[in-house]
Amino acid sequence: MKKMIKITLLAAVFGLVGLMNTETAKAAGAAETFKFYCAQCHGLEGKGKGPNVTKDFPVTPRDFSNAKEMSKLSDDYIRGIVMDGGPSQSKSPLMPPWGKTISEADVNGLIKHLRGICKCKGKAG
Amino acid sequence: MRLIISTLAAIGLSAVFAGDVRADAAAGKAAFEAQKCTGCHYADGPAREKSIADQLAKKGPELWYAGSKFKKDWLNAWLQDPKPIRALAYNSLTKKNAGDHPKLSGGDAGNMTDFLMSKTSSEVKAGTIKPKKSLKGKSIFNKKMPCTGCHQSASKKGKVSGGLSGPTLVGASKRLNPDWIYAYLKNPTHFKPFKAMPTFAGLLKDKDLKNVSKHVSKLK
Repeated sequence: MKKMIKITLLAAVFGLVGLMNTETAKAAGAAETFKFYCAQCHGLEGKGKGPNVTKDFPVTPRDFSNAKEMSKLSDDYIRGIVMDGGPSQSKSPLMPPWGKTISEADVNGLIKHLRGICKCKGKAG
Repeated sequence: MRLIISTLAAIGLSAVFAGDVRADAAAGKAAFEAQKCTGCHYADGPAREKSIADQLAKKGPELWYAGSKFKKDWLNAWLQDPKPIRALAYNSLTKKNAGDHPKLSGGDAGNMTDFLMSKTSSEVKAGTIKPKKSLKGKSIFNKKMPCTGCHQSASKKGKVSGGLSGPTLVGASKRLNPDWIYAYLKNPTHFKPFKAMPTFAGLLKDKDLKNVSKHVSKLK
């Protein structure tokens, strides 16, 4: 019986370590996803100053480091605008619809990444 | 009898020409390898990238479908006088394109053009897109979708505007095969499994992918 408990505990500890590794891998993936797709307009630091934002760029991309503004946005709003594009939330069509490009799981990772940049939580709903 | 002899001569002559073309492409392949083009470009398909990291590790664009993508005359001229197609260095969001792509002599450029034009994709169907004005395509490109956010293009008056992260579409009419533009919009991951451009297939109707292709293929 004692042996069984030991084995179960060991399995649980290894399971937990495995889970932590997955989460770490996910976090690294979100940073890479952000850099590859979003930084073109939002900038590598997420401050809305990517290389596409020239003097001709007609809108100001969201500054993700602005905690005050970011905390007004719910995670669902961000998910919607990333997947379906700016016009789906009455914003500029220059925010592309990424729904056919980035998986929903990766978009969820991106939202966590953005919350890491603003160091803020979104409003509920 | 005379007819048979002339026919045989014609067949022989065309075989010689066909042989010449193959020889040029072979010389182009040899030059491609000798000049270390393979250090930045790969020319054997299908696409190799399995992750974003694979895409970012590349120093230059893949050329395994160059013969379907580019127009031959443009490619031959560009290899002799390569002007930047991207404002930024390949795969960079911070470094400017140094404009230091190697230049080839006329002979080498001709051979390499023959080699690269032999690299085609069966995804690109000839004659699908006839380049002509498309107001719908123009409206989607300029207003409905975010194309101008990343690609530069020139207005009728020649004013260039647009974002810098994607290749310029100024002069696309001379550079790109209209059928490739459509094939890329329809099935982009066949060509680039990981690309910073959104996939529009499934969001736009097929007819509108064709309209955008027509519009881009007219850009000067």
